[in-house]
Amino acid sequence: MTIESTTVDSNSSSALRDNAEVAAALGRRYEAGFVTDIEMHSLPPGLSEDIVRQLSALKDEPEWMTEWRLKAYRHWLTMPTPHWAKLNIAPIDFQAISYYASPKNKPKSLDEVDPKLLEAYDKLGVPLHERAKLAGVAVDAVFDSVSVGTTFRKELAEVGVIFCSMSEAIKEHPELVQKYLGSVVPTGDNYFAALNSAVFSDGSFVFIPKGVRCPMELSTYFRINAGHTGQFERTLIIAEDGATVSYLEGCTAPMRDENQLHAAVVELVALEKANIKYSTVQNWYPGDEEGRGGIYNFVTKRGDCRGDDSKISWTQVETGSAITWKYPSCVLRGDRSVGEFYSVALTHHRQQADTGTKMIHIGKGTKSKIVSKGISAGKSSNSYRGLVKVEKGADGARNYTQCDSLLIGKKCGAHTFPYMEVKNPSAIVEHEATTSKISDDQLFYCRARGIGEEDAVSMIVDGFCKQVFRELPMEFAVEAKKLLEISLEGAVG
Amino acid sequence: MSQSPAPLPFIDALRDAAGVRLPGSGQAWLDTVRRENLETFLADGLPDTRTEAWKYTALRALGQRRFAQGDPDAATRAFDPRALGLPGVDGPRLVFVNGVFRADLSRLDGLPAGLTLQPLSQVLERDPEPLRFALSRRYREAGDAFARLNTALAGDGVMLRVAAGARISKPVQLCFVGVPASGDLAWHVRNVIEVGEGARLDLVEHHLHDAPHKHLGTLVTDLVLQNDAHLQHVQLQNAAEESVLIRRGSLHLGARSQAALHVLELGGGLVRHDLHAEMRGDQARLDTRGVFVLRGRQHLDTQLSIRHQALNTASESIWRGVADERARGVFRGAIVVAEGADGSDASLSNKNLLLSSLAEIDTKPELEIYADEVKAAHGATVGQLDERALFYLRSRGLPYAEARALLTAAFCRAVFTSLPNETLRDHFSEALLAHLP
Repeated sequence: MTIESTTVDSNSSSALRDNAEVAAALGRRYEAGFVTDIEMHSLPPGLSEDIVRQLSALKDEPEWMTEWRLKAYRHWLTMPTPHWAKLNIAPIDFQAISYYASPKNKPKSLDEVDPKLLEAYDKLGVPLHERAKLAGVAVDAVFDSVSVGTTFRKELAEVGVIFCSMSEAIKEHPELVQKYLGSVVPTGDNYFAALNSAVFSDGSFVFIPKGVRCPMELSTYFRINAGHTGQFERTLIIAEDGATVSYLEGCTAPMRDENQLHAAVVELVALEKANIKYSTVQNWYPGDEEGRGGIYNFVTKRGDCRGDDSKISWTQVETGSAITWKYPSCVLRGDRSVGEFYSVALTHHRQQADTGTKMIHIGKGTKSKIVSKGISAGKSSNSYRGLVKVEKGADGARNYTQCDSLLIGKKCGAHTFPYMEVKNPSAIVEHEATTSKISDDQLFYCRARGIGEEDAVSMIVDGFCKQVFRELPMEFAVEAKKLLEISLEGAVG
Repeated sequence: MSQSPAPLPFIDALRDAAGVRLPGSGQAWLDTVRRENLETFLADGLPDTRTEAWKYTALRALGQRRFAQGDPDAATRAFDPRALGLPGVDGPRLVFVNGVFRADLSRLDGLPAGLTLQPLSQVLERDPEPLRFALSRRYREAGDAFARLNTALAGDGVMLRVAAGARISKPVQLCFVGVPASGDLAWHVRNVIEVGEGARLDLVEHHLHDAPHKHLGTLVTDLVLQNDAHLQHVQLQNAAEESVLIRRGSLHLGARSQAALHVLELGGGLVRHDLHAEMRGDQARLDTRGVFVLRGRQHLDTQLSIRHQALNTASESIWRGVADERARGVFRGAIVVAEGADGSDASLSNKNLLLSSLAEIDTKPELEIYADEVKAAHGATVGQLDERALFYLRSRGLPYAEARALLTAAFCRAVFTSLPNETLRDHFSEALLAHLP
């Protein structure tokens, strides 16, 4: 790789680094940007009832599922494209997208997985094989449109936990899928949720039976590989009475000049005294410095605290995607149920993020906490948009919201749009927000102690995000920290 | 396409408004401005709750009502001028009854040097040219429907100028009185106010009524502060309980100018107050303080937007809201720091008390920041009175209602501590206490 002199930071500390180190640092800008060359099976681009039927047939789905998809598709046709978010986005051509792409050689078990695929996941640091045993995390890997393998199924089955791909769940556990699918995010909920309902290809399904504490962390790794495709996965997690589960999700995609669409739906159902923790490290390809390419990440995530004393906690670290548009929400239906949202969203270059949460307090004594940290650098735009709604019956509801924004550079924007709607006089709702830049004093202090400018910035940013990182499972926290450092490279100076 | 729905009575009643003669009619440019704005308003209709600026204020019920445009008998309607008095306010006074200037109630003799104070209707009839710029302003936002309606139909209002360097020591009082008529009527008032370079002005805006009525009043006020100008602006809104009052103020601040705004909103059935402030000159400073106390079925919507677009500007906003019984209070406070507006220091606090299970508070503080040398913070809360404080007062023998009123008044007081006119400050506290249920 050749390096132009202009890309090298001109400050004195970098002059000390030798060229190889600089080259290495620049080279790791988007580590997950490789393409895996394997034979794919895909549907032609375009969207119609026929495509939806073909997709359903390809997946060998039962009649009710096909109908469910068609209903969603017909509803989607009647919906206008939403435009309210603070986003600068070219119209999406839904006919140019291929709605199904899968590796040709479908594996029967993990041992039969195409070595190239395993290699791809190895490169990403996702333990699919032997290493999985060491890591002790059960993984479902979704490659383009299909799940390619789920680890630790036997161990999980022993305690009654079902962890499999959505396609398998539709075939093997239709009663659960029929009961819960679309019960949190209805097919017509919003434009992209309707689209997802019509064309979702795979995703993860988790069922934790009554009283079971899931013995290990569950994790799904999403990878978009093929060009001209979108990824539309659907995740459904059900925790029965007293069950506990922690679920992690990670995502990457190759570097391409085109914008690829990722429109996922995640539904969580927590019954009485259940506890679901959902963590995301989102690192889809963000596009280049000029905003060419990158993933459009339009996701609907919602958790339903149906039972009393249940708890749903969302933690997200958003560093990737050209455009992120998502609001993981909690419907606090059960009395004394708890919703949490911890988020770090970092945007650089020309990335745009419009993200936040909704906390709907319905039950008595419900509590919610929102901590959102936005970091904008380059020419990016980063918005927090949140809703806290306290319904009439939510006696004693309590919410605390904190949104902080950090600006790095003069061309970026950081915005906060919190909505508070309170209909119960015994509720307490609090919102606080600040916007600032990294202070010169902080930087000077670090530099005076011999810490280079970039390291100092990443240290300060790390401190700024600490409150959220604390909520992440350990392996993810390390990854998240590293991701921030990489994403911020070149942001200073 | 589906067939077009039957026109709303509100819109329908305006069809004939195009032919009505207003002060200044006959001036080609003014006729054009009015006609265009009316046409746009009629074409767009009333904004619905899908328009972000009207998300929490539904106008369905208003759309079903008919209003007669203007009050032909306004000049002769009886009104006791004693009601206009405010303690600590004894300067020049301009009074409008149902949107029409009343010389008999006003106090315009012996104006201090440097102060020009006239009813807009007179200026429009004599020589509207100097107002051309102000009155030709375009309102393009979807939520600005009433500003367009006002531009189309306003025939009166305040024309106030303070010459450069002039210091007007006595407060200037602007009174807008609603008086019952044979039916529901709509009036539209346009105010154009300019404070010259280095000048000072104290302004008291007073909305009041003498008997119950259901009129609709719209006011559009353009306030310009030239460099180094100072403005103290106090607003006391005590409109009739079932009236509709829609106000839109725009405030432009020049370099080193300072404006302080104190707002007390008590009256009205459906009240909307938009304030758009733009810090256009370096080192401008704006302080806004406001409180609303609502009861019954009152609905009040405050939309504050402060735009920092010059260097080293500062704004501080403290707003309080109280909603009791079946009332609904809405607050939006947006702070925008434009690209390059380095050194901006902006803060906003909005605290609300929800006192009844049938009341509702919706609040939305916003920050939109495009510069990095910035300090910006906002906070908002919705809660209720402290049970322990209530218990404390009651244990000392205060009846429940009194204890509740006392604590509520204390909650609102932070808003007025910075009001320099002490007599007026006390009057505000009393008015507030009297309004509490």
